Formats: sequence, structure tokens, C-alpha cells
Amino acid sequence: MPNVTFDQAAVTVPVDHLPEPKVLLDGVNLQLTERRVGVIGANGSGKSTFLRLVNGLVQPSSGRVLVDGADTVRSVRAVRRTVGFVFTDPLSQLVMPTGREDVELSLRRSVKNGAERRRQAENALDRLGLLHLADQSIYELSGGERQLMALAAVLAVEPAVLVLDEPSTLLDLRNRELLRRTLAGLDQQIIMSTHDLDMALDMDRVLVIDQGKVVFDGAAAPAVAAYRALCLASLDAQEAQP
Amino acid sequence: MRGHGFLLANYVPGDSLVHRAPLALKFLLVFACGLASFVTVDWRMSLAMLGALCGLFLLTGAGPKRLWGAVRPLAAVLLVIGLFQWWQLGAPTAGRIVLNILVCVVAASLLTATTPVHKLLDGVVRAAGPFRRLGADPERFALTIGIMLRSIPYIAGTFADVRDSARARGLERNPRALVLPVFITSVAFARQTGEALAARGLGEADDEDED
Repeated sequence: MPNVTFDQAAVTVPVDHLPEPKVLLDGVNLQLTERRVGVIGANGSGKSTFLRLVNGLVQPSSGRVLVDGADTVRSVRAVRRTVGFVFTDPLSQLVMPTGREDVELSLRRSVKNGAERRRQAENALDRLGLLHLADQSIYELSGGERQLMALAAVLAVEPAVLVLDEPSTLLDLRNRELLRRTLAGLDQQIIMSTHDLDMALDMDRVLVIDQGKVVFDGAAAPAVAAYRALCLASLDAQEAQP
Repeated sequence: MRGHGFLLANYVPGDSLVHRAPLALKFLLVFACGLASFVTVDWRMSLAMLGALCGLFLLTGAGPKRLWGAVRPLAAVLLVIGLFQWWQLGAPTAGRIVLNILVCVVAASLLTATTPVHKLLDGVVRAAGPFRRLGADPERFALTIGIMLRSIPYIAGTFADVRDSARARGLERNPRALVLPVFITSVAFARQTGEALAARGLGEADDEDED
């Protein structure tokens, strides 16, 4: 498995009316070598920032993030060849009118021959059972089909690591289950944030992030229990306020 | 999110003469139609060109429904343009202007209905090849065209959604309630698209050694 290393990685952003910058992620120090890593936490806790660091979409304000030894700032292109990223909303990720064209777009840089590119795109779609939808407008696809299409476009270039930012948030139960099964069958290392605690329980290791800090790091079941306790404590504290 | 109201027809697989015609010829046809719209002075000539292009479109097997789908989003705008020009310059000129716009739309639809996007993009890359000497990346030209084709229905869909939500709040006559959300959503969409492209390593200059 690839090795994703957070070396005291912190992300801060300046805020106009505040003297100190806002901390989005506070000095994370860990190594991810497991096949399935889950990230859970409340909205705005820092999950997306954490994931974006892995692909170089966000640069650490201090510290560094390495993917198999490659720095996500200094070797960002190499990192992006290794790390695929799936966003919450597939409509913002699919940039071509049809799925086939989008998968071919992923391959344009690496496969110069048009016929070979087409063949590889069809293989990528077929692997996820999407070949029959290849030429449909992305607007005619269901939410689940779109999310799988976005996944196929990312997997076409065979990244070693797959980062998914709340991929099931916009999906109904059936499509959520379809995505869950598809992810279970992939060989890639998966680092995924989710609000779906059933999906989180599938993971080998789960991080709980709260207010920019990793407050729990361990096996899935105790991590989910810790997250539930954190949410309840937060609600109790809010209700106790006058 | 709705994504309809696309101005140009989507690709329709087929084996017609137009499907098999070289891409350069189809590009040339679109270019010639655009040029002709400037030089044609007789509305009857414009009508004949439009008739010929519509005939060609139907010969491809794409069907009258797709042809109508390509021009329908323009109907209201053409009506306004036509009435204004009629009032200002008379019926023959108004007719010529409206027909010339339709000629351009149908010619472009003929190209997109008979050419898969990947071939269109390959053609753009080849056509932009000479600009490589000036430091331009032809792949970026192709990517730009692809994103443009993809973004038009998104923004049209956003407009339809915003209009519905304005209606639901009784604000359908308030231009701010229509324009501002569409503008903000379009900017957000552009940012998200940029982020998605960056995440996939697309739109970057040809790979160079890093570090």
C-alpha cells in the first residue's frame, strides 16, 4: 500500500476581522498505510481540508504532506498522478458532455493514440458497469450513475490512492449501497470522508476530526462511538447554555 | 439541477455522408456559413441556405426533433431581434438577420450532431498545433472548447432552477432575484470546475521535471 505521511501539517487562513489566522487543520502528524481509511467529523471540522492536502489542492501553511515520499507542494504533478480525487458533487467534476468523453479526457495526456484511448476508456467504463451509459448526457444520468461516472474518470488513469470527499452525501440509499460495493472491490488505497457511519464502519482505520484536530485515530467501531459521543456532548453543552 | 436547453445538438451516431465527411470540411462549412451571414444581402438567399442546411441535417438521421431542439432555445431572442429590426429597418432586413443567425446555429449543430466530441477536440488540437511555436498548449484549446460545450447547459439549467425558486417566493419580476443567484452559482461552478481540473492534473502545461 502507498504511504501517505502528514508531518506536522497545519492549514491556516487569514480572516479580515481577526488578529490571528483561523486554524483549519492543526499540526496533524500521522502515517496512512492502511487499505481503507475513513475520516469522519462534523460539517466544517476540517475533513475536506485534510483530504485536499493529500492531492495538493490545499497546501499546508506549515509542515508537509508526502505521498510515497513525494512532497505535495514541490512534486504536485507527480502526486496528482498517484492520487485521484472524487468530489461530493459529480456535476462539478465531470467536465465533458458525456461520460465517455470525460473518461477520454482523463486519458488524453497519457494516451496519445485516439483508438487506444477509446479502448482504454471503454475498459474503464466497463469495469464499473457503465458502458451502456457512456454516450448519454451527464445530465440524463441519475445521481448514483453520475458519481460512478466521476469515479470511472478518475480510475481510468489508475491512481494508487483514491481520495473521496463525502461521495455518498447526494445519493439515495440504493445508489449509496452501489457506491459502497464498488469501492469495496477496488484495489486502490482509499481515503474517504463520509457522514454515512455504515460506510465508515467498512474502513480499516478511522480518524475523527473536530475543530481542525484529529481527536480519535483507531479502528472503525470505536471511532464511530467516539464521534457519536462527541456529537452528543456538543449538543448537551449547547442545550445547557442559558 | 437541470441541464437542458443546450443550443447545439449533441452527437448522434450514424453513417451518413455528413458523418463520414472529413472534420476539416465540416469546420469549413461552419466557417463559410458564418462568413456568408455577413455578406448575404438578400433574405431569399438566407432562406435557401437555411433550407439546404436543414435538409442536410435531416439527411444525417439526427431527426427533426433534435433540429427543433437546437433552435428552440433561441426562439424568444430571435423574435425580439426580428421585431426590433423590422421596426428599425423593415421586414426584408429583419428576415435576413434572423435567417442568418439560424443558418449559423444549424451549421454548428450539423457539426456537433455528426462529430463525436473527442474527434472535435482532436481537430481543435491539430488546428491549434501551429500556436505551439508561440508557447501555447493545443490541449488547452481543446479543453476550453470541451468545457464551454459542457457549461452552457449547466448555466441554462441554473437559470431555470433560479427562476423556479424566484417564482416560488413571488419574486419572478425582480431581476436581482434572477441575475444575482445565476451569477454567483456560475462563479462557484467555475471555481469547482477549476478545482476538479487541477485535481485530475488537466489543463496544466506539459509535464516537466519538478523539484
